[in-house]
Amino acid sequence: MEFLNPAALYSLLLLPLLLIAYLIRRRPRAVVFSSLLLMREFAARVSGRRSGVPPIFFLHLIILSLLLLSLGEPSLTSQTMNVALVLDNSASMQAAEDGRTRFQAAVEEAGKFLRALPAGARVDVYLFAPRLARIGEAALAAAAALNLIYRQKPIDVGEAAVDHGAELSRLARDRGYEQLYFVTDHPATGQSRTVRVVTVGHRQNNLAVGSFQLNRAAFNSSQLDARVEVRSFSAREGTFRLNLKAAGKVVSTRAYTIAPGKSIAADFEALPSYPFYEAEIAADDGLALDNRRFAVPPPSGELKILAVSPRPEALVSLRAIPGVELQIVSPEAYGKGNFPPHALEIFHYATPAALPDSPALFILPPAENPLVRVAASSTRPIVTGWRDPHPLTRYVNFALFRPVYARPLKLGRSGVPVIETSNGALAVASEQANARYLALGFDPLPFLGRQNLPMSIFTLNSLDWLSAAASRAMTTGAALGERLRAAETLLTSAGETIDPRSNPAALYQGIYRIEGAAAQYIAVNFDNVAESDLLTPAPIQLRDDVGAAAKGSVAALLWRYVLAFALVLLLLEWFLHPLPTWRRNQEAP
Amino acid sequence: MLPAPFTSEFLNRLEVLRLRTRKETLGNRPGAYSSPRRGTSLEFADYRKYSPGDDLRYVDWGIFARTDRLYAKLFHEEVELFAYVFVDSSASMAFPSTREKFIPAGNLALALSYVVLANHDHVRLQALGEHNAASPFLRGRSRIADLIRFVRALDPAGATDLAASLGDHLRRIRRPGKAILISDFLVPPVSYQRGLNLLRAFNLDIAAIQVLSAPEIAPPLTGDLTVIDSESGEEIKVHWNEATRRSYRERLDRHNRELKSYCHQSGIHYSMYRTDEDLTDYVLKTLPAMRLFR
Repeated sequence: MEFLNPAALYSLLLLPLLLIAYLIRRRPRAVVFSSLLLMREFAARVSGRRSGVPPIFFLHLIILSLLLLSLGEPSLTSQTMNVALVLDNSASMQAAEDGRTRFQAAVEEAGKFLRALPAGARVDVYLFAPRLARIGEAALAAAAALNLIYRQKPIDVGEAAVDHGAELSRLARDRGYEQLYFVTDHPATGQSRTVRVVTVGHRQNNLAVGSFQLNRAAFNSSQLDARVEVRSFSAREGTFRLNLKAAGKVVSTRAYTIAPGKSIAADFEALPSYPFYEAEIAADDGLALDNRRFAVPPPSGELKILAVSPRPEALVSLRAIPGVELQIVSPEAYGKGNFPPHALEIFHYATPAALPDSPALFILPPAENPLVRVAASSTRPIVTGWRDPHPLTRYVNFALFRPVYARPLKLGRSGVPVIETSNGALAVASEQANARYLALGFDPLPFLGRQNLPMSIFTLNSLDWLSAAASRAMTTGAALGERLRAAETLLTSAGETIDPRSNPAALYQGIYRIEGAAAQYIAVNFDNVAESDLLTPAPIQLRDDVGAAAKGSVAALLWRYVLAFALVLLLLEWFLHPLPTWRRNQEAP
Repeated sequence: MLPAPFTSEFLNRLEVLRLRTRKETLGNRPGAYSSPRRGTSLEFADYRKYSPGDDLRYVDWGIFARTDRLYAKLFHEEVELFAYVFVDSSASMAFPSTREKFIPAGNLALALSYVVLANHDHVRLQALGEHNAASPFLRGRSRIADLIRFVRALDPAGATDLAASLGDHLRRIRRPGKAILISDFLVPPVSYQRGLNLLRAFNLDIAAIQVLSAPEIAPPLTGDLTVIDSESGEEIKVHWNEATRRSYRERLDRHNRELKSYCHQSGIHYSMYRTDEDLTDYVLKTLPAMRLFR
């Protein structure tokens, strides 16, 4: 017989307390009574009573021993005992506490669990992030599992927003685990017969860089503006120093004080051009990971545009914009040809069969386009509203904007309306798979410069917004291979080469370098508010998983029978040793 | 201020009561109780031969017509009552607390005293305990305030020795009357019999009221106990269980039966008052039923 919770056996040390309680109880209480006249006869009887503990004491001792033993969860040793060990390796497990990280504490807890397993137990080890997946071989011996978990380390990826309790219960049920041991920094609520959650770590104050954006000071400008947003997940006011680094060197530094639960934004202007930047806050907080954030400036210089239009004359005017390199092709030629990659594709009265990988602008697309649904045409529609603030509507007042010809747009699978009329949207913006798309239900071209200033500004805003998508930023956990083209290789910030064919996920934040025709950088950032919030971690809701642990459970869950036997004895004790007389008298009417 | 049970309604109902005594009293002033002396009441007592100077109004002219002899009618004299209320103030009267036993007993004594005072008779409250304190003879209902002060000043302490305490008080009694003894009588029969016999020897009409609290009737005890006598400090070890409880109750019932039997044989009114019982009900229903009042 083994004990799944051997630590509870220490409670057996409480047994002597029962004897002490009996001895205390049996020590005569001194009570004053009005007269002993009627009691003297009883004094003789007590002197003849046997000293020592009564027989009922031994029954109580057995009952208490059984109850305490059941706490230890005795189970019969089973050769086929299957156990799952799930380690939370998400970003929040990097939080430092008491001179070690939460992950190190979790590994130690898991080690205790593995060492307490019976010899015949087989363990599957799982990691929780980026998704619940087994590591190592299946059905490891406890020693091998111990060796495996000591080689793991946390990653810079948050947990998936799923019901963890249900996911763990499902795993235990599907794989037939008799016990699933989950070590995490989340508290647990509810109860589960199979899943056991061990929580490490405690509440901590934390500051996080919420966002770090780099924009050109103007379209095609060489100077950059930066905006850094810092969020507080602390219960008290905090001070920190914000350092802006370019290629590893500090280019600007400022000190701030932030109120609890608030966020502040810091703007840096006219930054010199560097390949990549880093915003870092120097603060004494719980999680160092989210104190850094990286950004790569949007591409500068020539904006290579591939324009597909049956009416190329209107597009030619875009060449008047400095820095724009335009290639115009007919829709037929676009369908047949294989064009080199462009920073932006414009479909003017035309549409591709599928959404392109690069950012794209759809101007009055035909009905069968892959982005939006197109409504019936109208003339001079009245603009009822526009999204403001928004990079697309910057500096433009659409109140008097009434295009001669328009085809209002209906939202497709994704996108947000930017300019709206009563019949539908005139502009729909969409971001999918790290690429931006803009569909217009009117034609802002030709680009007339000062002659039609509002439309010219809107066109520049559109080009700026669409080209900014090529700034190569992504969050940890996203697939890296989608960003690579043939003959390109990817190097992590640590200098490790990543094989693009395996399409790996970005597990650590930092600047990744693409080695190809020209060196390019990708800023990979950890971005998960739930992980940064160390004060109020989301609890894991455990449910009573009926039907779980089917195989071997009869042998494993011996404690149930021990508990049931103790309760039967308790019932017997109740019959043998009813309520004290005085209490019965009190209860009598 | 009157104690809680003494509402105006209760006082009004007490005022219509009058203590009943089975013996003649020797008061000085006219009252409602018969005296061995001849007097001017309406109750005929005897005849005697007319002698010059007798009031012709008392001559029985019927006898004169039949016998041609003059006889004068004699009548009983009706005088005031002297009531002696003895309250046990030994330490046992403070069990389980003064509030639960001694104060109800004191209230009972006050209620009986008020009946006497309201009838313009004399009453004296006397404590049987460590100090044997006694109030002066009081008369008139307004003197109830003095009696309340007297009862409030009493502190139950000391051992019960009915004979000794009563003997101390009886030395000061000059007139026969009504004696009401309020005690728990949790003393050996010999002890209370000696005390009651003393009262009988003084030609007093006696009423014994036994006062017991609920914990004395059904002690809320359990397990192994060291029981300490509240008066003597004597200790005994007792294992209190169902059998003990039953046996105690039997012994208490037997003790009370013996007390009641002795009272009955000695012409003493006996009644038991449970202190958790309503005083108003006890005074206005139970005591009249045992013919303590007329």
